Amino acid sequence: MSWIREGELNLLEKIASNVLKAGPMPKHVAFIMDGNRRFAQTLRWCKQLSIPEVTVYAFSIENFKRTKEEVDGLLDLARQKFERLLEERENLEKHGVCIRVLGDLNMLPLDLQQLIAKAVLTTRTNNKCFLNVCFAYTSRYEITNAVREMAWGVEQGLIKASDVSEALLSECLYSNNSPNPDLLIRTSGEVRLSDFLLWQTSHSCLVFQSVLWPEYTFWNLCEAILQYQLNHKSIQKARELHREEQALQQLEADRACVADLLQHQGNGKPADAKRRQEALHLCTVSREARVQDFLQALKQKRNHFFSDLYGEAVSA
Amino acid sequence: MALLYGLLWRLLLALLRIKRALMSWLRGRLRNRGGSLWERMVAALLLPAALPTDSQKKLEQSSVSGSRADTGSRRAQWLADGKALEKLPVHVGLMVAEEEPSFTDIANLVVWCMAVGVSYVSVYDHHGIFQKNNSRLQEEIMRQQQNLLGLDGSKYNVEVLSNGGDEHQHCVVSCRPTVKVLSPEDGKHSIVQAARKLCHAVENKERSSRDINVSMLDVMLRESKNIPDPELVVKFGPVNSTLGFLPWHIRLTEFVSVPSHRNVLYEDLYGALQRYGVCQQRLGQ
Repeated sequence: MSWIREGELNLLEKIASNVLKAGPMPKHVAFIMDGNRRFAQTLRWCKQLSIPEVTVYAFSIENFKRTKEEVDGLLDLARQKFERLLEERENLEKHGVCIRVLGDLNMLPLDLQQLIAKAVLTTRTNNKCFLNVCFAYTSRYEITNAVREMAWGVEQGLIKASDVSEALLSECLYSNNSPNPDLLIRTSGEVRLSDFLLWQTSHSCLVFQSVLWPEYTFWNLCEAILQYQLNHKSIQKARELHREEQALQQLEADRACVADLLQHQGNGKPADAKRRQEALHLCTVSREARVQDFLQALKQKRNHFFSDLYGEAVSA
Repeated sequence: MALLYGLLWRLLLALLRIKRALMSWLRGRLRNRGGSLWERMVAALLLPAALPTDSQKKLEQSSVSGSRADTGSRRAQWLADGKALEKLPVHVGLMVAEEEPSFTDIANLVVWCMAVGVSYVSVYDHHGIFQKNNSRLQEEIMRQQQNLLGLDGSKYNVEVLSNGGDEHQHCVVSCRPTVKVLSPEDGKHSIVQAARKLCHAVENKERSSRDINVSMLDVMLRESKNIPDPELVVKFGPVNSTLGFLPWHIRLTEFVSVPSHRNVLYEDLYGALQRYGVCQQRLGQ
């Protein structure tokens, strides 16, 4: 039930850990586990392997389709877990664990939302390692929410529709405070993503392991990390290629903005290269400023969501 | 000490890469000539599943192009193979995660998919090579259709669609499998374009941001390219990643890996289809 477990690696595990650490290590690992127990131990192993960020799939929006008893059971379990988290607050602070909860939280009963808000706000200032719990989450809902937020930004006059880009969408996801996962591990032999982090894992190393979660060992984790290391160079190359494409697309979008601008400012004469360059610079700078303002507003909106819930919980 | 660990790590990775190369070489040898006794023994140790059984050898022979008289029986065999599966995917994605793709092998895979009864086949590589050489791929598919399925193969009337949207005219036939050539542009970029469209509508006060929901975004994504979600993606190559393949559409997709698409055999594809056939999707349960 605990969120964090004490303990050290034995000698053999320490040696293996040091060998692995000689190579590139994932900075963010995501897990699709079959079963929810024994997670604290895996979190400890990740910490000992110097993996600072972990994301887990705790409750999918699809799970709401189960029978009422099952759903209530799962939500009760969640209540117990988050209450336990608040009890372990000092221990979590000692280890510097910051808990974030990602998902469409307004789908949950209010008392659970308040509990989650408490847990998130309590551990917010910890910064040694990060645990993201996906709760009432599916990737499609997350992407849709990001689009909705950008549309909200347009409605508020903070950004223009032409500012919408891949980078901006990424910043509007629930996971915007985290880098994309380097490694996604799924246990129990299933070989699908089940609507989990579809956007964020487009260039991650996927490792499907047949071991069942309750039997997951340190060595299984090492095996997955080895797979990551074997794939590292090719995935890096693919990521670079994608980044270049993104940059080109952004440049195209900015050039379209320049064409617009020059058309409005122009007096019929074709603009020379210098004017074009200046206009491009202007478009880029003003777009970046708009985007910053919008992201600030979004961050405040999200913070208010949690602090309002917390306020209600405290006054209740 | 750090140096020692560094050396150990390099050694470990080198061993794993050698093992992978050895397995790949053995697989090739076992296919082509049955292999010597020593090779078969090593293979049994490293790749217990790779030794071809008698039924697999039969399948292997059936995939090699032969005389015209054979094509009819091959077609019937493949159709029967498809019916023998517990479930057949409607849309199969062929994802090539290898450098310098081989058009002939991909064309073979496409033709086999269609022969087995798959209605929708998509082809993807993260460099966009297939998309840039769309017409070459189409020619190759036509050629392999003739080779493997005989002249009647034209009954299938493959519709090869790509991003440009210049769909080819075709006559309506009852069974019309479609081949789609995809690239990373069809992934995140398409989602961004749909998002931009929705935001434009909001800018023009045609819509409110609160109207935006999952089904609306889903419909928008299928407006320009009506691609059903792939039930199965067969990934060719050693890279364990989706490399940008249709992020929105792959939420419930099963991923089966095949070591390489070069000189791929029908039995490799059929093996992947069989693995799909036995998987169970619990959908939230």
